[in-house]
Amino acid sequence: MTDVLEADFCVIGAGAGGAVTAAELAEAGARVVVLEQGPSHDADEFSARPPEMLARLYRDGGQTVTLGAPPILLPLGRGVGGTTLVNSGTCFRTPSHVLERWAEEFGLELDETSLRPCFERVERSLSVAEVTPELAGANAAVARRGAERLGWSHGYLRRNARGCVGSGVCVFGCPTSAKQHTGITYIPRALAAGARLFTGADAREILVRGGRARGVLARMPSGRTLEVRAPTVIVACGTVHTPLLLRRSRLPDDSAQRGRNLALHPATAAFALMDEPVDMARGVPQSFYVDEFAGEGIMFEGVAGPPAYAAMSLPLTGEAHARAMADYRRLAQFGLMVSDESRGRVGTLAGRPVIRYSLCERDLAKFRHGLARLEELFLAAGARQVHLPLPAGVRPADATARDLKLMAFHPLGTARAHARAGHGVVDGELAHHGLSGVYVADGSVVPSALGVNPQLTIMALATRLAFHLLGTSVPDRAVDPRAPDAQPDDEEATCRS
Amino acid sequence: MDALVSAGLEDFLAAAPRPQRLVMGLLLALARRPRGAALLARMPLAEQAAQATLALGRYDAPAVARPLGWDAAAVVARGRELRRAEGRP
Repeated sequence: MTDVLEADFCVIGAGAGGAVTAAELAEAGARVVVLEQGPSHDADEFSARPPEMLARLYRDGGQTVTLGAPPILLPLGRGVGGTTLVNSGTCFRTPSHVLERWAEEFGLELDETSLRPCFERVERSLSVAEVTPELAGANAAVARRGAERLGWSHGYLRRNARGCVGSGVCVFGCPTSAKQHTGITYIPRALAAGARLFTGADAREILVRGGRARGVLARMPSGRTLEVRAPTVIVACGTVHTPLLLRRSRLPDDSAQRGRNLALHPATAAFALMDEPVDMARGVPQSFYVDEFAGEGIMFEGVAGPPAYAAMSLPLTGEAHARAMADYRRLAQFGLMVSDESRGRVGTLAGRPVIRYSLCERDLAKFRHGLARLEELFLAAGARQVHLPLPAGVRPADATARDLKLMAFHPLGTARAHARAGHGVVDGELAHHGLSGVYVADGSVVPSALGVNPQLTIMALATRLAFHLLGTSVPDRAVDPRAPDAQPDDEEATCRS
Repeated sequence: MDALVSAGLEDFLAAAPRPQRLVMGLLLALARRPRGAALLARMPLAEQAAQATLALGRYDAPAVARPLGWDAAAVVARGRELRRAEGRP
């Protein structure tokens, strides 16, 4: 049986891209339907217990793994809020050198000036502010001490949080609802403006006739089919699932780029045993960065969590693991993220996504260099012992790809934007090449690695798309201070200790 | 369920894609037995995956986590109190 709904816009996905687009369109008076495959999450159900929260908030329990050398754990959020529900909340604007590269290499007319109103609008909506040193906690203080002694560039991160008390479990569901993920910001705005949200809605096909979008077919939890008839469809299923839906819908792919160009920002982390108590889970886990080597594609950012999280990621086994965990309160941890040049691809096997990605030599060299520098950072901070994520006896300079223990959190690029139809899946306005009425608004359109966390880039691009669809420009408060805004910015926007 | 192993570990394992679930079940069975653990030690990647999963369950148990300064129940209670007091979602 099929139920039918009429809308102006059908948005598939309620994460960083979909939620933003839906809210902006609905607030302008459009009829919007949002289809979200996962459930809606209630903060009352957040337990601050990693295994339980991984199972509940993440796709495949956070156990999505890439195939290649080395295999990489790729945890993805699932449900209203998408990965914004389970990320660390770090907010960077797209670096200017990346925008310049996009203009030169991909023909995208994006620059800091044209994107500024989009970034500002998103930052106001999400209460983006810099973490205070007090809230950052002792784990950040360790990295700061090391960076200062070495004279390395560093700083406190900007995050989307209001009234944060440093619960230490951003990635396992914020128990105070301080993190301003799209499930508690943009989606409520969209609903208040009349949008309709369907959870558990598995979008199976984008309907296209005569080269124009006609709507979306979704399988509902009841077993019924929902047909949303809409002349404009915005696909925001995320970098792994968007190319699969486009392919399943048999949309044209003249560029043969669909599912390709996967960048991940592969990452790893080291631990250090300090003299002083660190209690890494007290404070904002990702609150501090060291960008001394950002020009080489290496970024250091804070990571931390409760004992279960630390125990899972500590690169030791047996007695050595038990001894290190006995000193958990004095353990510090810091992460290393690489702006990757390696490229993977997303396909399917028996209906499930298959992600292939292998680290290229240049990225391996970044890890070798980065791990040596990370060790140097900890030693400069006074670490008694540093545990690098390498097998016993392997030094960073000698590490092979298979020696690395990697995770990744920022999949990008599988429906990349390119001005020319023969080279990209969507154009500079995020419209699907060769079709009318199909747009993409998630990390899949981002055509290259960013070198920084991508949520703000995705949200700014989604904002730009929404106003493009509305045929108006993004309100610019720098030009007109009376420009309408979703959130007054005189409200408390900073984290508090 | 052993008080020193989190009940949430079962949920975590059940949430994995079926092929991974089957492989992990086998690895954990090996890791929990001395002869199996010796066999696993020859396969670093597999050993790492099994040990990490077991550690996730062990250190999530309140009886293990509390002495290390982590009380998940207290963190959640504080969060609920703040949300209610300030009318957060």
